[in-house]
Amino acid sequence: MFVQVCLYFYCKCLWRCLKFVVRKLTGQCELQRICYNTKPGAARTMKIEASLKGSKSKRLQTSVNVHPDAIEKTIDDIMELKRINPDINPQLGVSLQACLLQIVGYRNLIAEVEKLRREPYDSENPQHEEMLLKLWKCLKPNSPLKARISKQWCEIGFQGDDPKTDFRGMGLLGLYNLVYLAEWDTEIAQQVLTDSLHPKYSYSFAIVGINITDLAYNLLVSGALKTHFYNVAPEAPTLTHFQQTFCYLMHEFHKFWIDEDPLDIMEFNRVREKFYKRILRQLQNPEMALCPHFAASESLINM
Amino acid sequence: GLLSILRKLKSTPDQEVRILLLGLDNAGKTTLLKQLASEDISHITPTQGFNIKSVQSQGFKLNVWDIGGQRKIRPYWRNYFENTDILIYVIDSADRKRFEETGQELAELLDEEKLSGVPVLIFANKQDLLTAAPASEIAEGLNLHTIRDRVWQIQSCSALSGEGVQDGMNWVCKNVSAKKK
Repeated sequence: MFVQVCLYFYCKCLWRCLKFVVRKLTGQCELQRICYNTKPGAARTMKIEASLKGSKSKRLQTSVNVHPDAIEKTIDDIMELKRINPDINPQLGVSLQACLLQIVGYRNLIAEVEKLRREPYDSENPQHEEMLLKLWKCLKPNSPLKARISKQWCEIGFQGDDPKTDFRGMGLLGLYNLVYLAEWDTEIAQQVLTDSLHPKYSYSFAIVGINITDLAYNLLVSGALKTHFYNVAPEAPTLTHFQQTFCYLMHEFHKFWIDEDPLDIMEFNRVREKFYKRILRQLQNPEMALCPHFAASESLINM
Repeated sequence: GLLSILRKLKSTPDQEVRILLLGLDNAGKTTLLKQLASEDISHITPTQGFNIKSVQSQGFKLNVWDIGGQRKIRPYWRNYFENTDILIYVIDSADRKRFEETGQELAELLDEEKLSGVPVLIFANKQDLLTAAPASEIAEGLNLHTIRDRVWQIQSCSALSGEGVQDGMNWVCKNVSAKKK
């Protein structure tokens, strides 16, 4: 233990010295070097994030927690602190700002997603009920629901005659994701639903959707999704980005499930675990973007 | 610390116990499983398939199998009957509309040949809810007193708060030793 602590401080000291020497040699601080040597996207933003968090300056450390509106001011402070002349390095401020927008955006997205997850489904709330009924309409446009409490819910993969108990630990987040998939990716949603009723590959569509929501949530909270979001969201990642990621994961899981050729539904957790590890592995590559074709971010790219 | 590691090496390996956790969907089986394993219970999702966890308790290694309770999955329950030492049946005490359904499922389980003589613990779960029926009412409704071919126990509990869970597990450990010795 003691040796490890000593080693830690020794390495930290060595790292600081190295940074100092490189800074003197190149005349650039670490943030500058990262921006000039790494192309924009996850590779750059993740390095900037690590550099800011590991900085000895309190101002830099806390910069990753600022409110989005305070980012411009923060960048000015950083430039001043690092004695960088914005007139000589006009691009640097812009690059840093883009990185910080993503870093702060990711943190805020976690908070937003967590808030939705914590809100339990409430059948007394008309908005919740409306969304639930919308899910049915999008998935089953040609067969109307005969009653709010009905065995029909099993046809789209809920467990019983009232879906309200199935959202559980994922709360409204599970419902939001399913509705997004059914509304914006209707064709894929209906296709996956039909396939999920196939006797050989049968699984419960809605319940699996809630489980894949849990998977996406874990990827987000653990920080694994940073690679993906920093590559596809040029500014701050939003809830829409998260929901599109869910749609992608749902579709990918479906293909993975069929490829795995499971004996029956009892293999679900084994296949899910394997799928999760595969996605985690993919996200370790800083170039990785799970689904590059984002409708939501296209307008941003053109900006 | 080092002492406990040495002690572990010295003592004989724990006796393994196979526990089957069954009940209708939304009864609280997975929450109970996670509560037993002292894991976070705020992110539970409906079980597709099954979960399994090993828990150390009172010199036993409890291998707990939590099988999904959805109607579609119930036909698979029988695949897990073999070598079961204890059956734990979980009931949502607040879901009065499905008392009959849950009673029927339990009766069918008790009729299973592969489960004959296996001690059964019934958890009257969700006692934290105001609308929960007391364990005595459930015992009466399910005619538990007519069970004569095995030892059984009904225990009120809240898997959410953990109340009553340990009492139930004490009963499990007591009856495992009675059966295995």
